Amino acid sequence: MQTKRVIIGDREVKIPVLGIFPMIAIGLVLWLLTGTYIVGPDEVGVVQTFGKHSRISQSGLNYHLPYPIETVQTPKVTEVKRVEIGFRTTGKNQFRTIEKESLMLTGDENIVDAELIVQYKIKDPVAYTFNFVKPEQTVREAAEATLRTIIGRHKIDEALTAGKFMIQEESKFLLQSILDKYETGIFVVAVQLQDVSPPKQVIAAFKDVASAKEDKNRMINQAEGYRNNVIPKARGEAQAMIREAEGFRVARIARAEGDVAKFNAMLVEYKKGKEVTRKRMYLETMEEILPNIEKYIVPDGDGSNLLNLLNLNAQGGVK
Amino acid sequence: MKKPLLVIIVLGLIVFFTTVFTVDERQQVVILQFGDPVRIITEPGLHFKLPVPFQNIVSFDDRLLEYDVAPEEVLSKDKKSLIVDNYVRWKITDPLVFLKTVQAIPTAITRMDDIIYSELRRELGTHNMTEIITEAREEIMEKVTRNSDEATDQYGIKVVDVRIKRVDLPKENEQSIYARMEAERNRQANKFRSEGDEEAQKIRASTEKDKTIILAVAYKEAEEIRGEGEARALEIYAKAYNKDVDFYEFLRTLETYKKVIDDKTTLVLPADSKLFKMLYE
Repeated sequence: MQTKRVIIGDREVKIPVLGIFPMIAIGLVLWLLTGTYIVGPDEVGVVQTFGKHSRISQSGLNYHLPYPIETVQTPKVTEVKRVEIGFRTTGKNQFRTIEKESLMLTGDENIVDAELIVQYKIKDPVAYTFNFVKPEQTVREAAEATLRTIIGRHKIDEALTAGKFMIQEESKFLLQSILDKYETGIFVVAVQLQDVSPPKQVIAAFKDVASAKEDKNRMINQAEGYRNNVIPKARGEAQAMIREAEGFRVARIARAEGDVAKFNAMLVEYKKGKEVTRKRMYLETMEEILPNIEKYIVPDGDGSNLLNLLNLNAQGGVK
Repeated sequence: MKKPLLVIIVLGLIVFFTTVFTVDERQQVVILQFGDPVRIITEPGLHFKLPVPFQNIVSFDDRLLEYDVAPEEVLSKDKKSLIVDNYVRWKITDPLVFLKTVQAIPTAITRMDDIIYSELRRELGTHNMTEIITEAREEIMEKVTRNSDEATDQYGIKVVDVRIKRVDLPKENEQSIYARMEAERNRQANKFRSEGDEEAQKIRASTEKDKTIILAVAYKEAEEIRGEGEARALEIYAKAYNKDVDFYEFLRTLETYKKVIDDKTTLVLPADSKLFKMLYE
């Protein structure tokens, strides 16, 4: 090997000098080595030979012929990317609404505030790499157009309530078909309709409808409650009336039977000596009633002195 | 001995590198011979041409390109003003024509914008606002895309998609929509409340009705039962008392005395009455 003498200060150093061909050889080796590259586990390698797409390489250590013969690009094919329409996430659990994007007309010419999240990933890395420009903007614009188209097909009440799922599915389908038309190689993983709400200018009126609905239910429930209170009471009252009547019937009959039994028993005895019994009973009754009352006995029997008697009694009262 | 060889190699390399060129997947190329286009290459890969002073290359993007149109105010058929925001996806399909007519992308966009704007205006002008918002939107976009595409053929451009991103109302009209929405909701709220009132009253009224019926039916039944009792009692009494009407009358009279005559009664008795007839004898 050739050497060259170099004087540094007062010392003499020998430096080996390579000839032109070994230098070219080393350069060539280094150049060839620049073709090694790593494809991450979430990526694939899209290799171009003289600008033309030639092959796809999988994860791990790979080799392509060095630039400018071959080049490689490694799009992340498993990563799910996300685009937000109508709002932006500004931090953890912090969002900013973008009214310009989120306010849109419904099919019945109302305005709703709708927010959408699109999740997408690369299904065809070759198409994704070569066919179009600005992937994120493309998805965003297509998604925005899609959401408005679909919301425009629905009435406001559908958009706010039951139609949400349908809107989501239709949006996903339409968005995918647009992206396919552009040959983007993008797969729409999910389209999630976030909050769909009335614009804030009129939200109070919408809330009032909800509370009116509740008012309606409340009024009905109260009336039902009233019914549930009144009807059983009335039924109870009715039963009470009937039971009382039934009691009355039994009692009335029993009493009649009792009275009759007494009468029959007395009748048997009476028949044994009619006149005597009659007199005795009469006198007994008189004994019973007369002691407690005021009585006047008028001797002449026709009661004509009654007035005098009353007068006398009155004067006596005065004295 | 070595020097001429080196010169030849260097010269050879220079010639080689101006002769050989690659066309990327994302490109298409026009070869100019002294400024005059002679060949179009759309196939990516390694290609050859004459060295530099003789032939040059101009490359164009072969991808789907975008351009976003600024929102414009457009009138619908029913003379309603709408703010339309759309975007365009397009492609250079004939680089030669493109090069001859518009040369570069910014010029192309200006030309395209003129065409698309007028197409959009014309098309939207044939539809009512409601149609534009709802079912006709896609049809309009397709038609505008098709017409614009035909019109841009002269520039070597293919308009792949003209898509309406937004159709909004001007701010003033928005207010009237909000007012209408509010009125509509108020109407609904009132409807719900009146319905509630109606339903509740129905329930209450039917409750009162049912209550009245229940009580009346019970009254009827109770009176029937009472009547039955009374009738049975009368029958029993009649049967027994008929055995001796005279004795019954006597007994009942005595009973009645006991009840009628109490301590407030003043009784005037003639001395010759049945009770006292022995008093003066």
